Amino acid sequence: MDTLTTPGRAVRVLVTLVGGLLLLAGTVWGSDDHFPFGPFRMYAGVNPPDEPAPDTRVEGVDTTGAIVALTQRNTGIRRAEIEGQQGRYESDPGLLREVADAYTERNPGAPGLVEVRIVIRYWGIRDSRPTGTYTDETVVRWRTP
Amino acid sequence: MAHALTAVTRWLTEPVPRGRVAAFRTVVYLFIAGDLLFFTPWVRTHADVPGELYQPLLIGRLLPLPTPTSTLVHGVFWVLLGLTLAAATGRAPRALGWPVFLLYFEWMIIAMSYGKVDHDRFAFLVALAVLPTVGRARHGDGTLTESGGWALRVTQIAVVCTYFLAAWSKLRFGGPGWMTGSVLARAIIRRGTEFADTIATVPGLLIGAQIGIMTFELLSPLVFVLRGRWRLAAIGGFYGFHAVTIATITISFAPHMAAMTSFLPLERIRPIAWARTVLHRGARAVAAADHGAAPAGPDARRAEAQRAGGP
Repeated sequence: MDTLTTPGRAVRVLVTLVGGLLLLAGTVWGSDDHFPFGPFRMYAGVNPPDEPAPDTRVEGVDTTGAIVALTQRNTGIRRAEIEGQQGRYESDPGLLREVADAYTERNPGAPGLVEVRIVIRYWGIRDSRPTGTYTDETVVRWRTP
Repeated sequence: MAHALTAVTRWLTEPVPRGRVAAFRTVVYLFIAGDLLFFTPWVRTHADVPGELYQPLLIGRLLPLPTPTSTLVHGVFWVLLGLTLAAATGRAPRALGWPVFLLYFEWMIIAMSYGKVDHDRFAFLVALAVLPTVGRARHGDGTLTESGGWALRVTQIAVVCTYFLAAWSKLRFGGPGWMTGSVLARAIIRRGTEFADTIATVPGLLIGAQIGIMTFELLSPLVFVLRGRWRLAAIGGFYGFHAVTIATITISFAPHMAAMTSFLPLERIRPIAWARTVLHRGARAVAAADHGAAPAGPDARRAEAQRAGGP
């Protein structure tokens, strides 16, 4: 059998303790910024039983007037990443130009975008179950000057 | 106190066969190739995202890591792919294992620094960090190793922490009201399957599922109390939980599931050895058939020699 030396064993116990404490501290006080020791907060938010569910999408309008759904596939940006930086886009709508640039980078042959907007569809929920009804709200919009 | 410390240390370094470490290594390093190409291919699309949208995490600011460019993203992708395939063979476990860990960690920082952090791979990162510490391990080797035992144990602990501390986070951010809230209805609306849409209409089902998830996560550490078949059955239950989340809200937790194989007696799964045995048996059967069909007796041998141009 391969046995560990006393120092080898001690170092491993110490590393386990430190790693465990970092993870515990991240869970109790940390945020996503502390990756990989941040809290495991996937789907951990407060959502009361009758609170509408936001379903975010990003839309563009190209030079032909067509509406283009802007997704991870054609921009490289995930929907959750748009939501994660929504505050930045709202305080600086010009930042949506970067989304238009990312679209152009991945679709060089496609007509350019003259407008990009973040739209949230609020789906109704009652008694923790979807009702099937919704309302749309455009939260931020950028147009080419 | 000293007795308890000794017991904990013994548990942390409970030896396992080297063959299990070798198999776990192959699973983990092959998973990275699958992750790069199939499971999370969107990381590579960050190559085209302007640097203005990069929001470095604390670790990225501390080190400090560069803002990802197209060259950096594609460079990490190809080098990591090559190294991880080499590491999956089990050769040079340290010389390949450490660079794979560092590059995958950087890959994850590229993934998580644009406004969304995923929580599905803490245990997988732990596995990558500890596997190089084990040293050489050959497939099928039954020699017990304490360093290998520690590597698998801390990966297992990280797997269980992912569940238990996820429950803690739900209580921290959502409170006990999380269980009677609408988090699953929200998840189904945002990314549910047709199957999920169907079951979402059943009164009370989603609230029951939320209470079930919280209970399962809080009780998950009990897996360490179980032994033998019971523990394997519990791990089967963990995999079952993820199968349901994939079938309903399309969340795979694939890296976590790869790390969870640290609970399994992987050394018993020997696909290459089995293939060799089958081929060997096949070759022996063909040889026996040839031998059986060969001409027998002196007359027949003479006739064979004449046909071949002999005397």
